[in-house]
Amino acid sequence: MAPTKVRLIVNSRACEVEAAPDTPLLYVLRNDLELNGPKFGCGLGECGTCTVLIDGTAARACVIPIEGCVGREIVTLEGLGSRDRPDPVQQAFITEQAAQCGYCLNGMIMTTKALLNINPHPSEAEITQALRYNLCRCGAHVEIMRAALRAAGHIVEICD
Amino acid sequence: MRSQRQGSLSVVRAANDGSGGFETFIKITADGSVTAYNGHVDLGTGIRTALGQIVAEELDVSFARVVIVLGDTSLVPNQGATIASETIQITAVPLRKAAARARQFLISRAAERLEVPSADLTIEDGLIRGKDNRSVSYGELIGDETIRLDLAEDVPLKATGSYTIVGQSVPRVDLPAKATGELVYVHDIRVPGMLHGRVVRPPYAGVDAGPFVGNSLIAVDEDSVGDIPGLVAVVTIGDFVGVIAEREENAVKAAARLSVSWKAVPTLPELDDLDAALRANPSTPRTLIEKGNVEGALAGAAKPMRRTYTWPYQMHASMGPSCAVADYHEDRIRVWSGTQNPHILRSDLALLMDRPEGDIEVIRLEAAGCYGRNCADDVSADALLLSRAVGRPVRVQLTREQEHTWEPKGTAQLIDVNGGLDADGTVAGYDFATRYPSNGAPTLALLLTGKLAPIPAVYEMGDRTAIPPYDYDHMRVVAHDMPPIVRASWFRGVSALPNTFAHESYIDELATEAGVDPIEYRLRYLKDKRAIDLVNAVAERAGWTPRPVREEKEGDVVHGRGFAYALYVHSKFPGYGAAWSAWVADVAVDKTTGEVSVTRVVAGQDSGLMINPDGVRHQIQGNVIQSTSRALMEEVSFERGTVATREWGAYPIIKFPDLPKIDVLMLPRQDQPPLGVGESASVPSAAAIANAIFDATGVRFREPPFTPERILKGLRGDVPTKPETLPPPTMSRSSKIWRSPFSRRSGVFARIAALCTAVIGLGAAVLPGRAIAPIARPDPSVYSAATIARGEQLAALGNCAVCHTAMDGAVNAGGRPIETPFGTIYSTNITPDVETGIGGWSYPAFERAMREGIHRDGRHLYPAFPFTHFAKASEADLQALYAYLMAQAPVRASTPHNKLAFPFNLRPLLAGWNALFHQAGVFKPNPSKSELWNRGAYLVESLGHCSACHSPRNALGAERADGYLAGGLADRWEAPPLTSLSHAPIPWSEDEFYSYLRTGESRFHGVAAGPMAPIVKDLAALPDHDIRAIAAYLASFNEPALEPDAQQALAAKLESETRVVLASSTGARLYQGACAVCHELGGLPLFGSRPSLALNSNLHSAIPDNLIQVILHGITQPASSDLGYMPAFQDAMSDDQIAELVAYLRRQFAPDKPQWRDVRDAVSRLRASALH
Repeated sequence: MAPTKVRLIVNSRACEVEAAPDTPLLYVLRNDLELNGPKFGCGLGECGTCTVLIDGTAARACVIPIEGCVGREIVTLEGLGSRDRPDPVQQAFITEQAAQCGYCLNGMIMTTKALLNINPHPSEAEITQALRYNLCRCGAHVEIMRAALRAAGHIVEICD
Repeated sequence: MRSQRQGSLSVVRAANDGSGGFETFIKITADGSVTAYNGHVDLGTGIRTALGQIVAEELDVSFARVVIVLGDTSLVPNQGATIASETIQITAVPLRKAAARARQFLISRAAERLEVPSADLTIEDGLIRGKDNRSVSYGELIGDETIRLDLAEDVPLKATGSYTIVGQSVPRVDLPAKATGELVYVHDIRVPGMLHGRVVRPPYAGVDAGPFVGNSLIAVDEDSVGDIPGLVAVVTIGDFVGVIAEREENAVKAAARLSVSWKAVPTLPELDDLDAALRANPSTPRTLIEKGNVEGALAGAAKPMRRTYTWPYQMHASMGPSCAVADYHEDRIRVWSGTQNPHILRSDLALLMDRPEGDIEVIRLEAAGCYGRNCADDVSADALLLSRAVGRPVRVQLTREQEHTWEPKGTAQLIDVNGGLDADGTVAGYDFATRYPSNGAPTLALLLTGKLAPIPAVYEMGDRTAIPPYDYDHMRVVAHDMPPIVRASWFRGVSALPNTFAHESYIDELATEAGVDPIEYRLRYLKDKRAIDLVNAVAERAGWTPRPVREEKEGDVVHGRGFAYALYVHSKFPGYGAAWSAWVADVAVDKTTGEVSVTRVVAGQDSGLMINPDGVRHQIQGNVIQSTSRALMEEVSFERGTVATREWGAYPIIKFPDLPKIDVLMLPRQDQPPLGVGESASVPSAAAIANAIFDATGVRFREPPFTPERILKGLRGDVPTKPETLPPPTMSRSSKIWRSPFSRRSGVFARIAALCTAVIGLGAAVLPGRAIAPIARPDPSVYSAATIARGEQLAALGNCAVCHTAMDGAVNAGGRPIETPFGTIYSTNITPDVETGIGGWSYPAFERAMREGIHRDGRHLYPAFPFTHFAKASEADLQALYAYLMAQAPVRASTPHNKLAFPFNLRPLLAGWNALFHQAGVFKPNPSKSELWNRGAYLVESLGHCSACHSPRNALGAERADGYLAGGLADRWEAPPLTSLSHAPIPWSEDEFYSYLRTGESRFHGVAAGPMAPIVKDLAALPDHDIRAIAAYLASFNEPALEPDAQQALAAKLESETRVVLASSTGARLYQGACAVCHELGGLPLFGSRPSLALNSNLHSAIPDNLIQVILHGITQPASSDLGYMPAFQDAMSDDQIAELVAYLRRQFAPDKPQWRDVRDAVSRLRASALH
């Protein structure tokens, strides 16, 4: 496909990129808009590291072309909050130390955010189900679950 | 005001690289900030934080004041690769001494300055205070001086009892940046002018030794990617192939499309039978210990026990495929890398470039966790080769498939134990032999470019923890050192995890035979005091009940508990001990399905001094989770000796629902030296789980992973397991042949007459149809806007552009190849270009083509052009269509010649074909039917030409009148039956037809894919009432629809009956890893639709073609973006894997349908046909 000008709304800002319409959103976010949050993990929508929100719903940016994003609101990890003003979900993950290498962290936070968008107080079972297709290799699952529970308003017990 | 002080204090050591330079460990500047340098890197374990604590503690500054620099070759000391849990235990030692040396210097200088004895000084965050409250800061003591201190070995260190920072759970310093998307990873580096590269790897997937390595490339056809925008270069050196483009997505396209010819891969050792493969691999025995008289003891054993334990190939499975950026200049080379061994990588790059190491700087950034090895070094070398080729910075990102295929695998291992019991139940002897086929996996580019000969090296690494922790009287341990079989290197718990699996399974077997509780039996042979303490503490924490005899368990789901212990001994033999670790694992085994759940793990560890207890806890938990995953589900699969696991379905790792509950017990040993904690808790894992499975089932499993198939096989012996089919839903279905309501009955006479015409046609080859004179291109302004708009709708209804537009070509300019059973026909240019399109066509010429299938010049058109349908269109509609086409911009594009076999290449024969199969005349409504039905009939039968694809064709390529809408083929996709012959489990209704044609999706049938997706997209131009009419017409060929409630109930029933609860086959695992995220019922909503596979027509069809097509090619151009997109799996799954997946999906989601046959062949056929 030939490059064309495509208008996107990312983190509440309108922007225009020149790229082939079938370009995966992930490459445009990372290369044109210089956003680091969404990560390339598999290119097949399997692992969840590239997760962003599209119109508030979790979306795997590695398999969605930009032509499918026109007129939709895209939010990345950067759009949730910053180090100084983190989103409550980001803060919960920092508080619970919910990462080791952190490569999956974007997907875990964005997926938790998407879950809370439709279900502000999910149960532990609902969180487990929602995060089921986000992979983590370091085995940070225990801390990630605690972070998601904290973000969902559960009281997280202190470890002994 | 005085200017800022410029001085600094450094603690250094002479570099041992012969350069005469020095390595810096600590630098304190006059502003009081502290920078510490360490040659190891943070692989995600949090050592950056722990090292900061060590420095802050020893230097008596606040933790926040310390910045840790890791891994940059121009800044940090060369301390080797970050492996073997060494960082805290070994690499941090000089850092701690350097901090102590600086503190010692500063405090003595302060004593002078303040004129008080050192002993009377206190320090708080770098401020030294005397008893008289006079104080001086580190910065003031340094002033403008440049102070360089040598690292002293004998410097006094702080007493551990006085620690205030070390031993505290300090939050990780890296997480806020990671949680908010700051630049952290090597993947995030953007250098000005940077290009994007991709590599194309050779076909000997994951094999790095043998004469064919670096020697298999035949040719690269650069023209195959010549049209890719912004392509900068194609680079080939030996077997190294790379492409470079301005934009990343274009590099991706170029790598995918580049036509590369390789020599055939020679026959490689099969790895289906690991025991045989490892025994056949040449080896050299190396005795690690020999004690007592093993032969004599075993000869006299009352109960000899020979056992073999087999460990599979496993993957490190980094979440992020490796990435690097290189910037090559003649005078300076910089490489941004996620390497775990920056200095070793620098040596490799120097060799690759024929340059001295000093010219190269490796800048280390964080990367995805690697747990031993990944492709970080490989991709760094790839990027440098590409950057050198174009003289610009190049970023290379490996694909998931490349990372999976080429990462140096954690190697398979084979362990034989010959031992047994004496009559009194004591261990008679222990003869242990381990085979470990791995080496260092040299940086791939060195092999591919021929810089390094592809001769497999033998590393002595199978000996880690090969000596058991038990003090057996008669014992021999032999490591059979051997070269790698496939590319392999160290993986968390290097050889120690498999060796411990054998030690700890075997002692459990001994205890069982001896009739002694397994923990008690171990304690009889365990002499190490700290080990004994740990074992007892873990047994107590878990509430271990001694069990001299295994108790038989009742029921389908049986529970069991297992114990294992290890002191992880790592590094060059005899090595060092890291943290002590012990597990109690609880499992539940479903004897009917073979599923093993690890329900709880009590993991105890003696780590010595814990620098950061939370960090230690996280490492223990991470190890427990990862090693449980390895024990239960992880195994690399091979096809013809090459790696076949290329994505997460073929290589599953543990997911949230499968996690055990973890209880971590950390022994307080803050007075002891700190020990490595990065791997220890993995080491007892598999044995503890196997021992628990034995306790539950009474069956010993000696080969992980403990998949449901393997467990069932073990429980039932070799009795074939029941296929995982579910009871078929009962459904009655009347099937019915529908005739086209508009077909003429052609009897025998008609056929004979037509045949005669065909013969005449053949004879009349010199007498083509009458040519209609060309005209000047009509002026589109003579047509009203309304007519043109109407024509546009009709063009959409007829989907003209779908066939008349080539891939990436101009709309309606033709050139799209259309495969027919008779050969390839190329669609023509129907833009109003006078010379190459239809610009010179008068309306009568256009109408004749549409109604009779005759070109303006008199040639017959092939019936791939569905004029038999278009003939039924009304005069007004054809005129509007003509007006629309003539109003489009002309595009000059000649049509390629058709490629048809004789006699189909003889156009005059088509006159006979027309006589046989063409029924001229416009559509005539059926007065007995409703207006809506008749409208639908007109749209379907005329320009809509639905039955052109959805009806079967006869041997001459004509629609069979007796199979109206009974299903056909389109572009190698099945155009499914639209009548009651539909295979869909829920019959089509008017509403569902409407929904499908309007939105591209029906809840009860699926989404439009393949050639149907652009058709639905086109139909968007039609008003709702036309779509409704089509739906009503099509529905009339189906059984009366179910009531909505009944439909929903049936859907819910089908979905609940086919719900996936277990992954017990390769196909099921592929589904879980690749498909379930978007198709599993009730999952978290993702962008796009969530098509239900239980209801999908394609899974219930008589042929698997559409299912295979959609897996191979995905849905990249859906009818509407609202439906979302499906990725193509053709590069990520082999034919065998797709066949397994397809067979599983059929079995699981259409259990009442027979299995498809020859699926593997269908996959190969459809994959191959897409390449043409």
